[in-house]
Amino acid sequence: MIDLLPHLINGLTLGLLFALIALGFTLIVGVMEVINLAHGSLFALGAYFALTVIAGSWFSSTPFGAWWLSLPLGLRYVLALAIGPALAGLAGMLLELCLRPTYGKPPLYGLLLTFGAALVVEELIRLVWGTGEQNLALPQAINGAFLLNGMIFSTYRFFASGFSIVAIAAVWLFLERTSAGAVIKAGAHDSEMVRALGYDLARLRLLVFGFGAALAGLAGVVMVPIWGLRPHVGVDIVIPAFLIIVIGGVGSFWGAVIAALLVGLAIGITGAYAAAWSTMSMYLLLIAILGFRSRGLLGRKSALEN
Amino acid sequence: MSKIRITRRAILGAAAAGSAVSLFAGPWKHNRVWAQGASKPIRIGITADASGQYANSGASDKRGMMMAISEANERGGVLGRKIEFVHIDTETTAATGSRVAERMISREQCGFLVGAVHSGVANAISQVAQKYGVIYINTNSSSPTEAGQNCHRVKFVFDGNGTNFAKAAVKSAIERFGPDWMLLTNDYVWGHDTAAATKSLLKEYGGKVIEEVLIPQGTRDFTSALLKVQQRKPGVISAAIGGDDQKAMRQQVAQLGMGDKPAWINSQQDWDDVYGLPVDNLFGVFGTTWYYRLDLPGVADFVKRYQTMYPETAMRSPGNVFYNGYMSIRELLGAIERAGTTNNIAVIKALEGHKMPARDRMQHFDATIDAETHQVQQTIYLATANRAAKEKDDLFEILSHAKPDDVRDTDSAKLCKLEPYDKTPSFDA
Repeated sequence: MIDLLPHLINGLTLGLLFALIALGFTLIVGVMEVINLAHGSLFALGAYFALTVIAGSWFSSTPFGAWWLSLPLGLRYVLALAIGPALAGLAGMLLELCLRPTYGKPPLYGLLLTFGAALVVEELIRLVWGTGEQNLALPQAINGAFLLNGMIFSTYRFFASGFSIVAIAAVWLFLERTSAGAVIKAGAHDSEMVRALGYDLARLRLLVFGFGAALAGLAGVVMVPIWGLRPHVGVDIVIPAFLIIVIGGVGSFWGAVIAALLVGLAIGITGAYAAAWSTMSMYLLLIAILGFRSRGLLGRKSALEN
Repeated sequence: MSKIRITRRAILGAAAAGSAVSLFAGPWKHNRVWAQGASKPIRIGITADASGQYANSGASDKRGMMMAISEANERGGVLGRKIEFVHIDTETTAATGSRVAERMISREQCGFLVGAVHSGVANAISQVAQKYGVIYINTNSSSPTEAGQNCHRVKFVFDGNGTNFAKAAVKSAIERFGPDWMLLTNDYVWGHDTAAATKSLLKEYGGKVIEEVLIPQGTRDFTSALLKVQQRKPGVISAAIGGDDQKAMRQQVAQLGMGDKPAWINSQQDWDDVYGLPVDNLFGVFGTTWYYRLDLPGVADFVKRYQTMYPETAMRSPGNVFYNGYMSIRELLGAIERAGTTNNIAVIKALEGHKMPARDRMQHFDATIDAETHQVQQTIYLATANRAAKEKDDLFEILSHAKPDDVRDTDSAKLCKLEPYDKTPSFDA
């Protein structure tokens, strides 16, 4: 019999990483009711912009590049954590502008547009950064491994999980404790009322989409040192992200976080006893939860259920 | 009494319709003369993945084929005919491979199909190819079943297979690192077949499998598997993990510092899967069929031709996948020349048992296309990370080279039953 504890720890850390991925997705779905299939591409864009910041890949042969690369890796990494998501956020805003003609139309329009955008972004990545595998260098302080209860764990994985906790708390505080957050939540609840109160709904949507895209980009910067960086890395995360927000209840912040932890634990535990089922386990979890509660764990009650 | 009147006009119409149908439908033995005469080009269908798990390798595979086609056309083509190619993405998906093969044969009128990295895709393509009698060269997929239970008269397998690589590594690894092995196996046909070959060799040489962990395709997080490795404490891990999954695994193993202990044996290491990764990601011992810095005649010139033809490609040095793609087309066109015709049966016979000198193949030993299984029996190299690289791309340190006969896959050969020639549709491409 193998010791389950390391696998539970692994499942929890994985769940926190999944939560970070799902955060921006759930925000956009909750406020704008757009299923953004380009979420994975924005995740990848954030990571590639971070790669440029860290490795100076566009300008390394210039005098500026030489100076840039002489800066400590830790500083470049911190800058990448800010610049990567910011640029992904701008790309998200651009996408939102393209989405505007689809508002008020059947959801399929938005779905198809974001799907097309995902393909375009992936091809752009191939053109700009190349098709091969890339490596996001990490500062020594958060790289390597450490021993815990006789088992080797990745230092970076724990750093990334801790970072996810901070990001989740920051987003929650922003939504709950700031006036901008209150407007965003009100927009998700009743957009017409928000407009009637004098708020610029178009601007609100632009900012929310940009914020959600920036969170996707942040997840990209944090995740790729674990999963690797290649042009279609975004494809790998869209399905788990979508599945998590459905399990959690579409638009529910804490629903997404709880669902992500459950998915992480399901993968971690099946990985210990039946590894061949580890990927399948999240789908089985989805079936089990939606079978009992069709709106997900913390999803809003549908009008049909009243 | 029937009131149908048989008129002369009806008889003529029926005869014309019958003739038209017979042009396309029969007799099946020799009925599809697609490109009569010397004026029409020979059309090759490139079935390389451009998306999915093996997109990167598929791109290299295709580049290799295109270079061989380009060189053949510069020499004036084959039998006085230019070579054309059509490429359709097989998406690293067996169902797509099947659909692409069907379309290439029936709509694009390709007389030959070449390419594959994923064994499931290769198997799907070969079933369609056999139905039509179209020669198919599996360039880069290395499941033992490809030239074993899934062999076909029309299919030729140019890569080494899991058994070849395992044979080159298993015996010495047991002697050096002990008999307790753990297998990490990608949960699809290549992974399973390679693991089966390893298990059989372990049994033969006194090793044992203490656990096999099946890794679903598309896995990006290997922490569970690596925790199990720590809990089970094997002497050796034999990993049959391919494509992007393998890249993710290598990065995570390197991050945990588990690359040196336990010992890692990786069946085959495709160049495309590690190009660009830091050298500490290249732990363990792995197999390959070719390396761009082999100290053999022709290698430097081959590399130069690659760099001249692909000046913009990020991958500055060719690897084994490119090499197999190139050699496949070159040998196919050579067989057409030797046969003096594009008749598929004649070309198949020209390929079967064909000996390829080591010098032409840029390997250490002569290679042969096995007449019974259609697999190329070739030199197998064992390599590890190069800690004293001469240049940026010099990632591998070649440890040994095994003779083709020493690593021959005899078990799979027993399962191969090629279709008789007269059961294979015949045509001129």
